[in-house]
Amino acid sequence: MASIRDLTEYVIQADIEKVKETTAALLAAGEDPLRLINEGLIPGINEVGERFKEGIMFVPEMMMSAQAMKAGVDLAKEKIEGVDIPTVGTVVIGTVAGDLHDIGKNLVSMMLDSSGFNVVDLGVDVPADKFVAAVKEHKASIVGLSALLTTTMPAMKEVIDALKESNLRDQVKVVIGGAPVTQAYADEIGADGYAPDAAIAVELCKKIA
Amino acid sequence: MEYASKHGDGIAFRTLTLQQLKDIHSASCRILDEVGVVVHHDEAVDLLKKGGAYIDSNGRTHIPEALIKRALHSAPSRITLYNRLGEPVIWMEKSNVHFGAGSDTLVYLDPFTGERRDWTTEEVAAAIRVVDALPQLDFVMSMGLLSDVDKRMINRIQYALMLKNSVKPQVVIAEDAPTVADITEMAAAAVGGREKLKNMPHFVLYCEPTSPLQLPFESVDKLLYAAENKIPVNFACGAVEGASTPVTVAGTVAQANAEALCGLVLHQLKNPGAPFLYGFGGSPLDMRTMVACYAVPEVLLLQGCVCDLSRFYSLPSWGYAGCSSSKDFDEQAITEATMFTVMGALQGCNLMHDVFYIESGRTGSLELLVLMDEVISRARHILKGVNTTPEYLAVEAVKRVGPGGNYMGDAHTAKHFREKWQPSLSDFSSYSSWEAAGSKSMRERIRERLRSIMEEHKPVPLAPEVEEKIDAVIKQAEDRLGIKL
Ligand code: B12
Repeated sequence: MASIRDLTEYVIQADIEKVKETTAALLAAGEDPLRLINEGLIPGINEVGERFKEGIMFVPEMMMSAQAMKAGVDLAKEKIEGVDIPTVGTVVIGTVAGDLHDIGKNLVSMMLDSSGFNVVDLGVDVPADKFVAAVKEHKASIVGLSALLTTTMPAMKEVIDALKESNLRDQVKVVIGGAPVTQAYADEIGADGYAPDAAIAVELCKKIA
Repeated sequence: MEYASKHGDGIAFRTLTLQQLKDIHSASCRILDEVGVVVHHDEAVDLLKKGGAYIDSNGRTHIPEALIKRALHSAPSRITLYNRLGEPVIWMEKSNVHFGAGSDTLVYLDPFTGERRDWTTEEVAAAIRVVDALPQLDFVMSMGLLSDVDKRMINRIQYALMLKNSVKPQVVIAEDAPTVADITEMAAAAVGGREKLKNMPHFVLYCEPTSPLQLPFESVDKLLYAAENKIPVNFACGAVEGASTPVTVAGTVAQANAEALCGLVLHQLKNPGAPFLYGFGGSPLDMRTMVACYAVPEVLLLQGCVCDLSRFYSLPSWGYAGCSSSKDFDEQAITEATMFTVMGALQGCNLMHDVFYIESGRTGSLELLVLMDEVISRARHILKGVNTTPEYLAVEAVKRVGPGGNYMGDAHTAKHFREKWQPSLSDFSSYSSWEAAGSKSMRERIRERLRSIMEEHKPVPLAPEVEEKIDAVIKQAEDRLGIKL
């Protein structure tokens, strides 16, 4: 019979089938689903994060491990209907109006997702009012804005202004990123944070969440 | 198939076999047929539907191969570009190669101080004049983003700067069709009217799909405007392998080819016979750093596929050269930019851009630009191939000189030595004369050349009334956009 420790190893190996099999078997044997998540699945993805930082594992492998973890979490969740699974926080993220670049934003959103955030991705070319509506609807604590064009950077400020107008600015932290964006620009428009890449974006969100 | 050599089949770089070309074409057709594309433009969807495309219940447009065949049949296989004076200067066909700079870098790397800063209008104008002066560069692009003008006016003002500071043809970036209309207006003023511009194109428009498999409104709008006005145009995927396209070279080519063909289909439905430039490029995501990297070996292979496919389709080709992912004008920049330039030349890519890009397109280096001018000249010399006619086989000269003789004093040497390649920057002198001349490194010589071009080069000016017309187009656009100065 496989153990919770094996589950951690299967997450690291990104073996979705084994994760599913083992989670199902352990649940059937009466294991506590929350314990499976917290002591089996999450330590796996944490280890992957460490190995990523050390340069041993790469982003695509991290994504696969995250999927494996999720498959296990989903099975475990079925058993604990009604109990709130704690998330680190909810992030509403999108590429601002007029801008269609989404590769960087997608990466940030996948990495946040893998790190336990509940991520609401609004896609590209997102107008300010959509960000506001999503913050309200999902009770988000963080708003992530991406812009790759110099011409669309001002739209980031528009989102911040719209949040102020809706009296939501105090409830959320705004983090921004994208090739032309700088810390200086973040300061200028009154954003709460800036990150030059996805790994730093995750650290930033964890810090301010 | 034709390759890049003036002398028979001597110099050729083939990336794909005929069977591989067919396999890629078939994979791309399957993508367009089975997966389909999302087209965010009503007129375009209509055109495709009438042409025989199928729109499924999710709104995806599926394009049958018959439509592609028709488009390939009606599209011209060659395009001539004219300079501002009306002279033909670029012939995009077969394996002809042409080189030009890049657009919209964020950072200007000051060649004299090494400082990195935002571009000003004056610096962009000066950079365009440098491209105008360098003999191996065939076309100009916008070089840098202007930090000192209203953001909505950047593309238009960049175009006015290109017209004023160079006679060379341009490749143009524009945010939307109204911007292209203003650019067309300015170009028409410079070359002598709309009708002339339509038949003797002076610029190429750069359009892109948003990968994977999406056709955004602005891109399609520009593509259709270009078709209507016979402005040569591409529909070039900027692949970020591993993110917006498959991580393998073949997978990226299959998808990017599907996207380019889809653009071509739409373009030819709008105006059969309008000039279309085939091509795409990539900057694979480095999975360690999450940075999209220019000029890595996979991208050079990708460009080989583009060139072979373009000849397979009989379409002119578009690509890259002389660029790098390095942060500085350093040994990495020179390695990558030189490899790309030489490979692009051998692959026979008709129109290669981004010469002077470093930091994968975020920074522009004029030093790299000047150095590449000489690298291109070296590459072009290689493309001439080896002449093996009797005069060049020189048996008569060998007879004359005979065993133990010296060719220095022979007429054959005197007749042909000037055909040899000559450097514009490289130094072939002896150590002692090099030392006596100040032991100048290549980098110092590059800066001297830059300085003298910047101080002395005066591009052929526009007539005062043309300048006025161009300024009027800018002024009207500002009024329309409600920009107060
Ligand atoms: C791929 C690409 C495209 C693709 C986009 C495909 C897609 N699905 O996204 C296509 C071909 C569609 C495209 C189109 C255009 N592009 Co483009 N594109 C690029 C390119 C080559 C790479 C961008 C990329 O994906 N990088 C990889 C990702 C992983 O990096 P990233 O986006 O920077 O994201 C990282 C960080 O910035 C940060 N981050 C990003 N978002 C966020 C958000 C938050 C909250 C945080 C904390 C962090 C964060 O973390 C990310 C991961 O590490 C860049 C050049 C470059 N090297 O940057 C040009 C570039 C961005 N494009 C440029 C231009 C000009 C255009 C066009 C206007 C060109 C045209 N002719 O139409 C159009 C605009 C379309 C539009 N309206 O948006 C310019 C922008 C100049 C400027 N600043 O104004 C650039 C810099 C190239 C250049 N020098 O010309 N482009």
